[in-house]
Amino acid sequence: MIQPQTYLNVADNSGARELMCIRIIGASNRRYAYIGDIIVAVIKKAVPNTPFERSEVIRAVIVRTCKELKRSNGIIIKYDDNAAVVIDKEGNPKGTRIFCAIARELRQLNFTKIVSLAPEVL
Amino acid sequence: MLPSSTLLSLAGPGVPASFSGEMGHPETKYSSKPRKVFSSLSKNVIPLQRHSINGLSLKKRNSLLSFAFGKEAKDNSFSDVGEEDTDEMYDELLNNYGKVVYKRKDQKPASAEIDDDAESLSFAVEMATVASEVKAGDIKVLFVKPLVYWTRFFIIATAFSRPQIDAIGSRIRDRAEKKYGKIPNGDTKPNSWTLLDFGDVVVHIFLPPQREFYNLEEFYANATAVELPFENQPPFRG
Repeated sequence: MIQPQTYLNVADNSGARELMCIRIIGASNRRYAYIGDIIVAVIKKAVPNTPFERSEVIRAVIVRTCKELKRSNGIIIKYDDNAAVVIDKEGNPKGTRIFCAIARELRQLNFTKIVSLAPEVL
Repeated sequence: MLPSSTLLSLAGPGVPASFSGEMGHPETKYSSKPRKVFSSLSKNVIPLQRHSINGLSLKKRNSLLSFAFGKEAKDNSFSDVGEEDTDEMYDELLNNYGKVVYKRKDQKPASAEIDDDAESLSFAVEMATVASEVKAGDIKVLFVKPLVYWTRFFIIATAFSRPQIDAIGSRIRDRAEKKYGKIPNGDTKPNSWTLLDFGDVVVHIFLPPQREFYNLEEFYANATAVELPFENQPPFRG
C-alpha cells in the first residue's frame, strides 16, 4: 500500500537509494499502489557520483511491498520492506541489474524487462 | 523407494497378503478404503489441510487415491492387508510419504516436455532467421530454460537504428502471427530496448549502446547458445 509520502527502497543498481512516492499513475484519484504499479517519486538519497541526484523526480515500478500480494491459488507473498525499480518514460529500467526476488505478476503487467534482469522470479 | 519397500515387507507377514496388480484397477474395488484413509487422516491433519481435503469432491478423492494405490502397486511390494491393520499401516505410510498424497493433474510426461522444447526451438530459430533477413547484427539464441522457469529461449539481437528496430519487430510479429498464430506481449512501439514476449520465446532487440549497457549475455552467461543455420554460411561477395 504505497501512497504519496511513502518512502521506498531502491531494488536496482541505478544509483538512487531511497525514494518518496509523490503520485500514483493510472487513475485520477487512486489511493494506494501495489506491486506492478508505476509511481512518480522523488529521490531522497542517492549514491554519490551516479547519474541521479537528490530531489530529482523519476518514475518507478513497485516490486516489493509489505502489503501481501495474494494469488488465486492461495499463495501469499509479502516482503519486509517497500521497494521500487527506477524506469524511464519508455519503461526501460535505469539500472542494469535488480537485486531481489520478483513476483511473476510483473511479467503479466508487461515489465518483462525487469523480470529478465532479476536473479529470481517467484 | 527403498524405505517404503522395507516398511511394506515388514507389514506384510502375519497377514494374508494379496498383491495388487497394475494401476488400471476399477475404482469401485477401492471405494470403501479411501474413506478409511481419510477418516484416519482427518484425525490428525492440521486445519489448513483438512480444509483443502474437504474442498475436494468425492470423485476427486477417488482419483487422488487411485494414484496413491497405483504408486504402491508399481513398487510391487504393496500388500492388500486385512482390515484390522490398515489404519496403522496407513499411518506409517502417511508418516513416510506425507499426509496428503498429491500430484498435479496438469503435469506433462517427459516426452511432451521434450516435444515442447523442440517446438519452441524451431520457433526461436525461425525468429532469429527473420531477424537476420532484416540485417540485425550479432544474433544470439540462448537456451535459458535451465536457469529461469518463466521462459525457454532468449533471442538477443542488435539493430542499428530505430527504423530498423521497427522493421525487425514488425517482421517478427507478422511471421509469428502468420505461421505460428502467436501474438507477442511487450513493446508495441520501437524502443531502444524492444522486447517481444511470446511466452516460451522472448526476443530482445537492442540498440548497440543499450546492448552494451544491459549486457544480457553476461547475465545469462551460463545458458547454452543455440547454433543458427545462417551463421555458418559464407558472406555473399558480389
